[in-house]
Amino acid sequence: MSWSSNGGGGPQRPWGQGPRPPQPPDMEKVYQMFREKFGGSMDGKRLWPMAFGIILVIWLATGIYVVGPDEEGVVTRFGRYIESTNPGPHYHLPYPIEDVYKPKVTQVRRIEVGYRTRGRSAVDVAVESLMLTGDENIIDIDMSVQYRIHNAADLLFNVRNPPRDPSNVVRNVAETAIRQVIGRNSIDEALTIGKERIQANTLSTMQKILDDYKSGILIVAVQLQQVSPPEEVIHAFKDVASAREDRVRAINEAEGYANDILPKAKGEAAKQIQEAEAYKTAKVARAKGDALRFLSLLKEYARAPEVTTSRLYLETMEEVLTKTDKVVVDPRAGQGVLPYLPLDRQKEGIPPLLPRKGGEG
Amino acid sequence: MNRRASVGIAIILIAILVLISQAVFTVHQVEQVLVVQLGKPVRAVIEPGIHFKIPFIQETFTFDRRLLVLDQESQEVLSSDKKNLKVDNYAQWRIEDPLKFYQTVRNEAGAESRLNDIVYSNLREVLGQFTMMEIVSGERLNLMKQIREQANIQTKQYGIGLVDVRIKRTDLPAENSKAVYRRMQTERERQAKQYRAEGEEEAVKIRSQANREREVMLAEAYGTAQKLRGEGDALAAAIYGEAFQQDPRFYEFVRSLETYRKAFVQGTTLVLEPEGLFRYFKGPSLNPR
Repeated sequence: MSWSSNGGGGPQRPWGQGPRPPQPPDMEKVYQMFREKFGGSMDGKRLWPMAFGIILVIWLATGIYVVGPDEEGVVTRFGRYIESTNPGPHYHLPYPIEDVYKPKVTQVRRIEVGYRTRGRSAVDVAVESLMLTGDENIIDIDMSVQYRIHNAADLLFNVRNPPRDPSNVVRNVAETAIRQVIGRNSIDEALTIGKERIQANTLSTMQKILDDYKSGILIVAVQLQQVSPPEEVIHAFKDVASAREDRVRAINEAEGYANDILPKAKGEAAKQIQEAEAYKTAKVARAKGDALRFLSLLKEYARAPEVTTSRLYLETMEEVLTKTDKVVVDPRAGQGVLPYLPLDRQKEGIPPLLPRKGGEG
Repeated sequence: MNRRASVGIAIILIAILVLISQAVFTVHQVEQVLVVQLGKPVRAVIEPGIHFKIPFIQETFTFDRRLLVLDQESQEVLSSDKKNLKVDNYAQWRIEDPLKFYQTVRNEAGAESRLNDIVYSNLREVLGQFTMMEIVSGERLNLMKQIREQANIQTKQYGIGLVDVRIKRTDLPAENSKAVYRRMQTERERQAKQYRAEGEEEAVKIRSQANREREVMLAEAYGTAQKLRGEGDALAAAIYGEAFQQDPRFYEFVRSLETYRKAFVQGTTLVLEPEGLFRYFKGPSLNPR
């Protein structure tokens, strides 16, 4: 049933319902009661008042109504708002004097802006979700809004809405509010840190507008489902993220290189110093040994220079000569021979041609 | 007679009922009623409740008293910086003067077509004074207020009050969107390049710093090592000097012998004459030289 009446037929009333059909009370009981009262004497004279009485009771009984736990009762008398009632049984004067509306107020309703859930998957609604940011970029935002009725009378009497579904005004207000808020933010803020703040600002902006309309609607929550760059540029945005990673990676690699070569160099340096240290110590030690050895020898030499010299000389010569090949030539005998000595042949193991001329013994 | 009387009573009763139904009308909380007497408006009833009129002569016209929504089609608007914007807006309005309303536009459909024109023209006019970014961002609230106030002057004559005009969406036309996307893309590409170059820069810095540290470390180690070796050499020289100084000639002798021992290794051929060491070769004699 559409509640938006056009064409001058006059406004339809909230919830679009007329008076509820009278609920018949227990006829049996009423009849019994009458019977007892009038002693069963039913003649024509009493028939009219009795029928009238029955109808009156039935009519009065139609004023009983029960407000469900999720509802609020709104009573009007000749169309004028009288009172709101809480869950439980109540009574109002019967039609046409008083009337009652019972909208469901506790139920939290939800609208989706920028997308629609179809079964399990969400379908994007681009015209709703694309919006301009304060720095002239375009951003794609999906948002859900939860709301409930906190003043049933306000909802019924102040803003015209499709019956049972105030989502039209909520949707308009939601789209206005989110764009107003996003229009004051930069795209980077919206994409990263600003999410919480955008949600809060959108909620308060929405609530303020709805309060201005006296709509009786309370926004419970605004949730940004998805905030992303538009499809057309999402690759560029993702590349920025990977570029940021690349930067970290390059730095890590360089640090890895530094961590690799520096300890090695430290080791190399330590090695060089150790070697030098060893050289120094060894050199000194050797020098000390050599010196001591010489001094010891010198002591002996001082005691018997002549003999020590000869002994040392001979011992050395003996050692040297036992190792080396020797050619003993008497200069007087071989004066012209020396240039022809086949020194190279000797090296190859061929016995040298020694001069046979006498004197060799 | 009895029968006739009861029929008469019934007729009178019915007549009274009809009269009452004609004389009494209720105004619902959501309604306002215009009472018209033979085509001439007499009064407007806004107060909800039960009301009376003169039967048969006066008739009632009922109008909504609630806030009504006018959801408009989006349309292109030119901003002061000559940019096209697709603006989608809605307005909340209400019938404020049922008489004027009835006389000028008669019903809601008539009112909506009139409102459409008024809001559109004011929207165009006001938005044309602002730049695109002002429309998109902070100025919105002012804009909407200004549009509402301007439009309200015009709607008054129709008995209509504009309570609120809101710009819902301000989108760029397709070709402008494409330009924005291109700009966004190049902006991000620039940023990505910068990040990568920064990474490269940092990496080169770290590497060269490490190389420098290594060079310095090794050179310093070399220096230290050379110094140590020098110290060793010096110490050794001192020790040698001190020892050998005691008899340089003897040292020379001993050291020469040492050199012979090392120099004449296996395979060396010595050409000797039977003098000196071999002077006994030719026969014993105890007076050498």
